[in-house]
Amino acid sequence: MKGNKDMQTAIQKAIALIVSGDRELCNILLVTAKMSLSSSFFALCIGVPVGIWLGSGRFPGRGVLVVLNRTLMGMPPVVCGLLFYMLFSGVGPFRKLHLLFTVTIMILAQLCLITPLVIGNMETYVSGIAGSVRETAMGLGLGPVKTFFLLANESLYQIFSVYLLAFARAIAEVGAVSMVGGAIAWKTNVMTTAIMQYTNRGNFSLGIALGMILMTVSLCVNIVITLLQRRFR
Amino acid sequence: MEVRAFSKSYDQNPVLRFPAFSFEKGAVYAVIGANGSGKSTFARVLAGALFCDQKSSPLPAGCKVGYMPQKSYGFRMSVEKNILLGGKDRQRARQMMEGLAITHLAERRADRLSGGETARMALVRTLMKPYDLVLLDEPTAAMDIASAALAENCILDYRRETGGVMVIVTHSLKQARRLGDQVLFFHQGNLLEWGPSAQVLEQPEQEETRRFLEFYGA
Repeated sequence: MKGNKDMQTAIQKAIALIVSGDRELCNILLVTAKMSLSSSFFALCIGVPVGIWLGSGRFPGRGVLVVLNRTLMGMPPVVCGLLFYMLFSGVGPFRKLHLLFTVTIMILAQLCLITPLVIGNMETYVSGIAGSVRETAMGLGLGPVKTFFLLANESLYQIFSVYLLAFARAIAEVGAVSMVGGAIAWKTNVMTTAIMQYTNRGNFSLGIALGMILMTVSLCVNIVITLLQRRFR
Repeated sequence: MEVRAFSKSYDQNPVLRFPAFSFEKGAVYAVIGANGSGKSTFARVLAGALFCDQKSSPLPAGCKVGYMPQKSYGFRMSVEKNILLGGKDRQRARQMMEGLAITHLAERRADRLSGGETARMALVRTLMKPYDLVLLDEPTAAMDIASAALAENCILDYRRETGGVMVIVTHSLKQARRLGDQVLFFHQGNLLEWGPSAQVLEQPEQEETRRFLEFYGA
């Protein structure tokens, strides 16, 4: 009974925090939005063309690249975080860039995690349609650039789906961003790292508030992308 | 147009052997043969969609080739935009769409057409501009009888206008007779017999050709 009451109080406090526009909460939201939107957008910019190229290309070594990418798709976030930590820490080769514990390195680490997912999904989809598109385009005397854009146009629906996947991974990710970002309050704390922090401190209301917002943001992005998908289907 | 001898193998199993051959300009060649005889592989190698074992095109350098694959593909855009991918002349596009009775489909999305409609659109798209060699792989296979007749007229008009070489892969011996000046008969990956349509279809020299024609009721 007491547990239920505590939970109820925490949820009430969480709603009050959201409604009052708590400054710390707003800051966490802004950092999260900046990080997840940037990393998913850049992952899409890199991953879509590479995925199309890999899915439609006929060149030696293509199979090796596909296997390599599929391996990177399963990279644990903490391993990615560790790698970036070592590269940018005081003893790493990129220490002079002073990027450790900044939002920029969090975006870079996420880019490293998400881009293989975008490439892999695009490659799988494009390889299914590439034969027909390439053969038809070749029969019309169209060059490789035009064929590439035709493939991109044919994959438009898939590109939206892949963006959803990239964004979902970015906003829900915790391992890599906590290692390279350090979850510093007012600077690099994002929703997932903040939920962990506040839960550890026993501050359930802020944790629940963040959890509710995280799910709501995810729902909103899904609705927008689904509507766009319908429009461009 | 001189075509160099070539072969095509999959995993060291030969599926096609084609001798050096001379295509006559302005002529229509109907390619016939049973399933798996190498007809489509022949068309795909000439189109450049498949590498032959020799790894270089058997066609003369600079030869412009138009090709309609066996499985027509409608890109995710309007029928008119699809057709204009084949050539920029809007007036010609409209004329040819009228010829194949697809004018009413101009604004429709090509990826939402039926198989027969897609094939008609693909034929118009392929014949939008002149080529030295046009390869049509079973262009009317998905069409009904009326549409196939329109398609054949369209092919013959194109031949009159451009004077290039046309190669039409078909399973219809009647179509081979109607369209082809020459007939090429493929059997088990080999060009077994070729010559004027009337000669190959009515007085074949090879026993395999005779058997094929009897079976398909020429």
